[in-house]
Formats: sequence, C-alpha cells, structure tokens
Amino acid sequence: MLAGKRRAEIMSVSAFIGVLMLQLVSSQNEPSINSSDHIMLPTDHHSLPITLQCNLTSAHSAHKESFWMKNGEEIQETRGERANTEYYLKKPRGEDSGEYMCVYTFDQAPSANATIEIKAVPDIIGHKRSDNKNEGQKALLYCKSTGYPYPIWTWRKLDNGFYMDINNSSGRFFINNKDNYTELSIINLDIDSDPGEYQCNATNMIGTSSIVSVLRVRSYLAWLWPLLGVLAEVVILVVIIVVYEKRKKPDDIQDDDEPAGPMKTNSTNNHKDKNLRQRNTN
Amino acid sequence: MPPAATTNLGYTPPDGGWGWAVVFGAFISIGFSYAFPKSLTIYFKEIQMYFSVSYSEIAWVSSIMLSAMYAGGPVSSILVNRYGCRTVVIIGGLMVGASMVAASFGTTIIHLYLLVGVIGGFGLSFNLQPSLTIIGKYFQVKRPVANGLAMAGSPVFLSTLAPLNQFLFDNFGWRGAFMILGAIVMNCCVAGALMRPVNMKTVQKHPVTASKGTTAKKAGSTENNANPEAGDLLTETEQKQKIGGCADKLMDLSLFKHRGFIIYLIGNVVMFFGFFAPVVFLPSYAKGIGIDNYQAAFLLSIFAFVDMFARPGTGLIANIKWIRPRIQYFFSFSVAYNGVCHLLCPFLAVYLGYAGLVVYAVFFGVAFGMVCALLFEVLMDLVGAQRFSSAVGLVTILECGPVLLGPPISGFLVDVFDDYKYMYWACGAMMLAPGIFLFIMNYFNYKQLDQEVRERQSGAIGMQSVKQSVAEKAEARKKEMKMTKDEEMAEGTKGFINGLLLMFII
Repeated sequence: MLAGKRRAEIMSVSAFIGVLMLQLVSSQNEPSINSSDHIMLPTDHHSLPITLQCNLTSAHSAHKESFWMKNGEEIQETRGERANTEYYLKKPRGEDSGEYMCVYTFDQAPSANATIEIKAVPDIIGHKRSDNKNEGQKALLYCKSTGYPYPIWTWRKLDNGFYMDINNSSGRFFINNKDNYTELSIINLDIDSDPGEYQCNATNMIGTSSIVSVLRVRSYLAWLWPLLGVLAEVVILVVIIVVYEKRKKPDDIQDDDEPAGPMKTNSTNNHKDKNLRQRNTN
Repeated sequence: MPPAATTNLGYTPPDGGWGWAVVFGAFISIGFSYAFPKSLTIYFKEIQMYFSVSYSEIAWVSSIMLSAMYAGGPVSSILVNRYGCRTVVIIGGLMVGASMVAASFGTTIIHLYLLVGVIGGFGLSFNLQPSLTIIGKYFQVKRPVANGLAMAGSPVFLSTLAPLNQFLFDNFGWRGAFMILGAIVMNCCVAGALMRPVNMKTVQKHPVTASKGTTAKKAGSTENNANPEAGDLLTETEQKQKIGGCADKLMDLSLFKHRGFIIYLIGNVVMFFGFFAPVVFLPSYAKGIGIDNYQAAFLLSIFAFVDMFARPGTGLIANIKWIRPRIQYFFSFSVAYNGVCHLLCPFLAVYLGYAGLVVYAVFFGVAFGMVCALLFEVLMDLVGAQRFSSAVGLVTILECGPVLLGPPISGFLVDVFDDYKYMYWACGAMMLAPGIFLFIMNYFNYKQLDQEVRERQSGAIGMQSVKQSVAEKAEARKKEMKMTKDEEMAEGTKGFINGLLLMFII
C-alpha cells in the first residue's frame, strides 16, 4: 500500500511540474507584439497625422508577413515582411475611426495580432433633408454616420418646441438600426399628426450628434383649388376676348362693296334743265 | 424692292393693330409647343420609380410627344385649311389639357404614352402650325419682327416652366402636378381666342392670281398671257373663298415641285441632325471636362437667356431693307455660323476651360436664336403666306426623323469615341454643309426669280392692253348701261392700277 500512495504523490507533483513547464514553454513560444495605444480623434475634426505602430518583439519562429486590418477587413497594400510595421493616416477624419489590427502570419503556427482602436464621436454624413408624400403613402427617413464605436440611434419628433420621443400608439412607426445606419418608416401617413420635424440622434461613449429631417404630407385633393383657379382664369379671359370682339364688330362694317341704294336716286330735281345724262340705278 | 416671293394673299395685311395681339397669342402657343415636352422631364425620376420602369422607357414619353407634334403637321395643315386657325388652336389646347388631366389618373406607363405622348403631342401640333400661319396672314412688311417675337416664346416658356414644374412637383406630387399643368396648358385656348381671322371688311383688297406659285415656268407664263380671263383673274366668288381667314385648299402637294421649297427642305433635313444635340449634351460635356453640376447647369441658363433676346433681335435685323429681300442668304449665314460655333467648341473648352464654354454658350445662344427666328420666316418668304399652311405641315413631318434621331446618333458617337469633341465636330459639319448648300442654291434661286420677274414685266405690259380690251368687252356686254365720260375714265384707270399691282405682286 505504501508504494501506491507514494506513486500517486509523485504523479501529482510531476503533473503539476508538467503543467508549469508547459505554461513556461508556451509562453516562451507565443509571440509578443508591442502596439501603440488606443487613440481618440478630436471632435473638431482637425486631427494631426496618426501613425499606428506594431512591433513583433519575440516569436518562436520567423514570421512570414504582416498586414493591417480595419473592422475585420484587410486594408489593401499593407502587406510587408517587416517586424516593425506602421500604418500612416495623413488627415484622420471621422470615417477613419474603427478597430484596427496588425496581423503577423507564420508558416507552421497560427497568426498573431494586436488591436488598436481609433475612436471618434459620431458624425452624421447622410440624411434626407425633407420628404414630401401624399397621405396614405409610406414615408422613409434615414440617417448615416461615421464614428466608432457604432452609435445608439434614437428618433424624436419636434413637438411644441421640444423633441419628444415618438408616440407609436398607432403602430405605424418602424425603426430599423444597423451599425452606422438607421431608418424610420411611417406607413399610412396621417395628414394631421405626421407632418413635422424629425430628429435622428446618434450617441456613443465619446459623444453625440443629431440632425433634423422635415416631413410634409400632402392632402389627397390638394390640387383641386389650383386647378379650378386656373380653369376659371382661362374661361374668363376667353370670354373677355370674345365679348370684346363681338362688341367691336358693328363699328367695323363698312359697306363699300354693295350699291349705295338711297344715296343715288333717279331724281332729276337738281339738273332738270341741264343736259345731263344720268345712269339708271334701278 | 419687293421680296423674292410675294404673299398672293389677295389683300394687304394689316401689319399692326390687332396683329400684335395675334403675335402675343402665337407667342403663348409656340412657347407651350416647344417647351412643354422638354419641361416634363422633371417628373421622370419620380414616375420611373412609381411605375418601376427603366429610364429609356420613361424617356419615350417625351420622344412620343415630340414626334407626334412633328408628325401631326400635315393633319394640322389640313384642318387649318378647312376650318381656320382659331378653331384648330382652341381644339389643340383642349386636347392637351384633357390629356394631361386624364394622364394624372393613369395606372400604367402605356396610359402615359397614349395620353401625354400621342394625344398631347397632336394637341401641341394643332397649336404650332396655326400660330405660324396666322402671322403670315397678319403681317407682310414687319413679318420677320413678328416671327422673331413669336418664336421667342420657346425659351421664355422653357425657363418659366422648368422651375414651375419643380414647384408643382414638390407641392402636389406628379399626379396633382399633371392636373394643374392640364389647366395651365388650356391657356392655349386663350391664345386661340386672340387669333381673330383678318377682318376682310377693313383691309385693302386686290384681285388674286391663280396660285400657280412663284416658279411658273416660261410655258406657264405664256399660257397666262394667252388666257387672261380663264387663268389669271378669278371670279368674284372664288376670290372671296380664297382670301380672308386661314382657309385654303386642303393640302397643297404641288409644293414638291416648288424649287425654293425643295432647297429649303433638303437643307433643313440635313441641318436638324446636328441642331439639338449640342444643347442636349452641353452639360454632360462640361461635367466631362471637370466642371461641377451647378456651373454646368448655369451654362444652359446662359444659353437660354441669350436665345430669348437673339430671336426678336434677329427679327428686327431681318426686317431692315437691305436684308429683307435677300433673307435667304441671312438664313444660310446663320446656319453656317452655327456650324462654325460647334467646330470651335472643343478648342474653346480645351484651351480656356469653363470660360471657353461660357463664350461658346453665348455665341451658340445667338446662333440658335437666329436660326429659330428665321426658320419659318424664310419658308413663308419662299412659298408665300397662302401656301404656308400646307408647306409647314410637310416640312415638320419630314423634319420629324432628323429631330428625333439627332440626339441618339450623337450619343452613339460619344459612346464610340468616348469623347465629346468628335460629336461636336460632326454636328458642326452637319450644320456648315447645309449652310453652304443653302447659300449656293439660293443664289441660283434668286437669279432665276429675278429673271422671271423681268419676264413677267415684259409680259404684263402686253397683258395690260389685253386686259383693257377685256374690260371694255365686259362693259359692252352689260345691258341698260350708259356711262358718262367720267365713269369710263374711272374704269380705265382701275384696270391700269390693277395691272400695275399684278406686276409688283408677281
């Protein structure tokens, strides 16, 4: 019995030492990368040039190549063989923010990477300034932004001078958010309650930004009064012109073609005794 | 010196008075005719999305409308010859108005093709022809000015309708806008109401010759000399039918034997291939050499603005006594000038950039306005106001092809060479060649016409004595007629004056 107990002791100690040694070995094999700190872009958008640096300080073997990735996608033309790799941003803007990774690939081992985050306040770059729709139709307002981390979107409506959260008791409002994009769709537009100013608000841990879109709803028969007005104008003008013409007509008639009738007579009163021949005008 | 071809209207046109109101009516009608199809393009994007069709399918609406407007020419001429100008213009206005109102209820793109395209286009052609015809009835001496003023309607209306359409679209949507546009277009009926037939009782009449046209050959003129009674002088009833209003015989196909008409036709058909394409492609060309959208659009505004003033200006210039008799040369010059502008355009664009294109837009605006102002004036000058109605119908239907094919062919040239300058050179050539052709052919035509005038002068003196004997015979035939010596003299003088007037007209 003593031999079994001792064997177990030896086995547990050797297992413990084995695990320690494994950890030592693996930590010696895992590559270590020195990377620059996380950066926050200034809100006034006038940032100095930024250089992201990664230095592969120790590795179990020589690396094959290195490249950069942004938000999970490889950046073109960054592949190289240097251990000390840099990514240079000359004029960083809101759209340059995101999660950057420098990646080192190895022949017989999985690649190693380090993450640098460039954070920025959300900046709304696209929205519909105004939208005109007929009542009963569907309206779509959207906002697009740059900035990292991806913001939380909220939509508000201007009501008595304050922006209030949208009242969806009628169930006609639908909000669809996806990373840097948000959509507000309103179905079955109501001419009394829906027109107005809508504000989309983007907020992340750095800051917040918002922009306003105007929604106008046209009445179904909005065109009726202008139509009647123009038709009335046309009819009135035509009547005036025709009446003016009919009234002028009697003045213009001059009878120079027809025989003058009463002007010429056969009477010979004035020249009875003179020897004048007169044409018979009957 | 009398103009090359006379009116043989049978009366002296008023040349003023109510004529200016008629010019204003023609201004409105012509403005709607030319500007309406082009201004509808503002609605296309929305309608395209609504009906889910491609851009080329929606562009057909405008093409169908333009082609119906040109193809409706002969139909319009026949109706004008039968019913007179006023009726046809009013019917045309009602047609376009009704078609737009009906189109606003349309549910498929085919409805738009039929209503806006076909019926609307025909309605516009019923506006265009009579407006041009009635100017010839009301004006003779100041006709180029009247034509220039009336044709100025096109750029004025285009620059007004474009922002108006945008406003209507924003506030009423495309359906509501079509409704309101239908009512606005009915203002053509107001224009029609202004087109009063010439008041025959107040104008000075003179006998009309049988309208054998101004190119009667030698055989024909001797024939006339031989039979003065049958050929030249129409009976009283025939005269009354021919003169006054716009009515004439139904369609004058003998125009195809008219030498001046054929020259005009050939020149114009070739010219129209390259006429509109430079305007259509100017903004794209500007954007292609790196100019931004607003400045490129501004080029078109400059062009339209210059065009607006060039048209009446050209009318005034064409009216001065040195140019009016040789107005065909002025027209050929303006066509050739257009061609030269297009040929120089790529050089201006390359060496002077945006400033060069602005200069081009100004000169092109002047050239375009000149050609448009003179386009129908020279046709009136060639065939005379009496046959103008049929002539303009035939001309528009034959120009239909080049007008519609021109921009697509030019677009094809741009696609093939991937550069606008070849298209501009092609358009320049297509305008310079007809210009030179018209110049040379009209030189021969004028020579021929002058020769005919000389022949008629010598023939007329013989005719005059024949006519006096005819008049004397007629008097002898009348029963119970005892004339005093004074009245005999009066009759003889009347005959002499008639003969003189005949000489000048022909």
